[in-house]
Amino acid sequence: MTTSPIHSPHAARETPVISDAAYLASLKKVTQYYIVTAFLALFIGVLIGPLQALNYGGINVYDTPIIKGLLKSYYQGLSLHGVLNALVFTQFFISGFLLYLPARDLGMRINMKFAWFTYALMTAGLLVAAVPLLTNDATLLYTFYPPMEGSPLFYIGAAVMVGSSLLVVGQVVNMWIRWKRANPGRVTPLVAFMSVATWMMWAVASLGIVTEVVFLLIPWSLGWVAGVDPLISKTLFWWTGHAIVYFWVLPAYIAWYAFLPNHAGGRIVSEPLVRLTFVMFLLNSTPVGLHHQYADPNISVTWKTMHMFLTFLIAIPSLLTAFSVAASLEDAARARGGRGLFGWMFKLPWGKPTFSAPVLAMISFILGGAGGVVNASSAFAPVIHNTAWIPGHFHITVGTATTLTFMGISFWLIQIPQVLTAIGGVMYFYVLFRMLLSKRVDDGEVTTPIPYSEVISPAGQDLAGSSALVRFTEPLLALWGMGCGAAAGADDVRPSAGPPVCQR
Amino acid sequence: MALFLFVTVLASFSSGTYPSLTGEGGHHITGVKNGRLNPKNFAATPFATPGLRQNADGTYEAFVVAKAFQFEPAVLKVPVGQPITIHVTSADVLHGYFIEGTNINTTAIPGQVSSFTTTFRRPGTLNVVCNEYCGTGHHNMLGGVKVEVQEP
Repeated sequence: MTTSPIHSPHAARETPVISDAAYLASLKKVTQYYIVTAFLALFIGVLIGPLQALNYGGINVYDTPIIKGLLKSYYQGLSLHGVLNALVFTQFFISGFLLYLPARDLGMRINMKFAWFTYALMTAGLLVAAVPLLTNDATLLYTFYPPMEGSPLFYIGAAVMVGSSLLVVGQVVNMWIRWKRANPGRVTPLVAFMSVATWMMWAVASLGIVTEVVFLLIPWSLGWVAGVDPLISKTLFWWTGHAIVYFWVLPAYIAWYAFLPNHAGGRIVSEPLVRLTFVMFLLNSTPVGLHHQYADPNISVTWKTMHMFLTFLIAIPSLLTAFSVAASLEDAARARGGRGLFGWMFKLPWGKPTFSAPVLAMISFILGGAGGVVNASSAFAPVIHNTAWIPGHFHITVGTATTLTFMGISFWLIQIPQVLTAIGGVMYFYVLFRMLLSKRVDDGEVTTPIPYSEVISPAGQDLAGSSALVRFTEPLLALWGMGCGAAAGADDVRPSAGPPVCQR
Repeated sequence: MALFLFVTVLASFSSGTYPSLTGEGGHHITGVKNGRLNPKNFAATPFATPGLRQNADGTYEAFVVAKAFQFEPAVLKVPVGQPITIHVTSADVLHGYFIEGTNINTTAIPGQVSSFTTTFRRPGTLNVVCNEYCGTGHHNMLGGVKVEVQEP
């Protein structure tokens, strides 16, 4: 399983074997459906990208007969590009990936009928929202700021699509609670911990957009109420709209932390540190949205400044990630005989797409993150607000870091022949879809075990024997999901020695 | 690090480089309360007649209305070297108000007034662009600021 030449005292976690082959096949199938839908959306979305680039280059292609029949304007194309790439691709991919991972990591059985229902509902929402997008009745860009008004179908479809992701949250959190009940006093395995923390973060983050769409935009677009407050709508949008970027990158972080060292033949630096990172994201992802409104009047400078500091704070777990994952890679390279200040990099397995895609994504994210710190500063806002700098920023964060990592993950999840992976662009999609749509004959358990890495500083398996940081982050997760009392009662996680784990 | 950030923010506040968008920019505007107004009825406000005005105390105020897909006035004429408080609002959807080559970059929101005070130090013409998507004519939504030397 692991290719590490290092004899670590802490072997990689072996995920529990799921013996029910029919259940495992069904779990893989629903994951595959999510991922195929995600990549279909991305495929359509990215095809529109070059039209925009040509437009920036002064070449108008929107008047050519074929494109004119499909897109009424640059802005309709841009709306499709934004919604499909940023909202649909990410949400579908994550809903599949982060349902599969905790189920495999915990070895838990989930209700497959419910999982399929959630997929069907999310897809139905997507299709309903797609109709006005394709008929030019929701050319609002992906921010859809009111009082610019689109078809009610767009808002209803979007609400159903985003709302159904909360069903995935419910299913994963429920799965985790059942595991905690069955395993009192045990530390949640790392991948499951990261997945649950991501979904819990998203549960709170999504409330803004759900509130905006359900209580403001749908009644207004149907004509039930006369108007809508543009400023409060925008604030609610960015409640979700900024935290959503962490919903996009955290699944990538899971792959970087837990799998990348394995692909490189190395070890995770510190498991408690990874847990700390995810808890920081869990707590701090949402109250940063006002940094999208520095240029808006009638929002107090005090609140803008507070959100500026909170946005700087959220850079810290990303910096922890950058340095500790880079340390993992250096550890792997030096164990393979890498030498020198930079020479060790040549010892990394650049030929493996499961390795090189996420690492290139991380390099892109260094620039993206640095630009993000500039964006966080309200003093810089007048210089960069709504300039080409902003799309530049999110194309090297979600557009590259997240997307490239997800592509790397798909190579692991679907086992695409490596010889074809050097061919990029449309060929990637061709290979991907051929693989996805072909009938599966292999045994999923054998072909895609979770590529857990060895750990230099593991969290341990029992809460009683684990470090203070692990004992601190574990109940924080619990507390967040269901309240302190229920967690303590259900889990009996209170160790005999050390501080009570459920003190807050 | 945190201390450094805190000190720079304080310095930014005190030196005036912190972008501050207050409701009425320290001025009382008829028909505007706490920086808010009725976007469907400008009649009772100075936004009914957009442009520059000089108050009795000699200060300058300018009123700009953004609407699909133009600014009113199309070209705002301002005197060079005088502090001017500019008030921007929108008559329909969200717009942007960005004066190219300057740090003036704000959102025009219906029902809200965005006010800031600035001094144009060099005579000439500056371009104004709408930088918030506002509909099919968004890219044609351009305006200007003409900074003029005052007649003695």
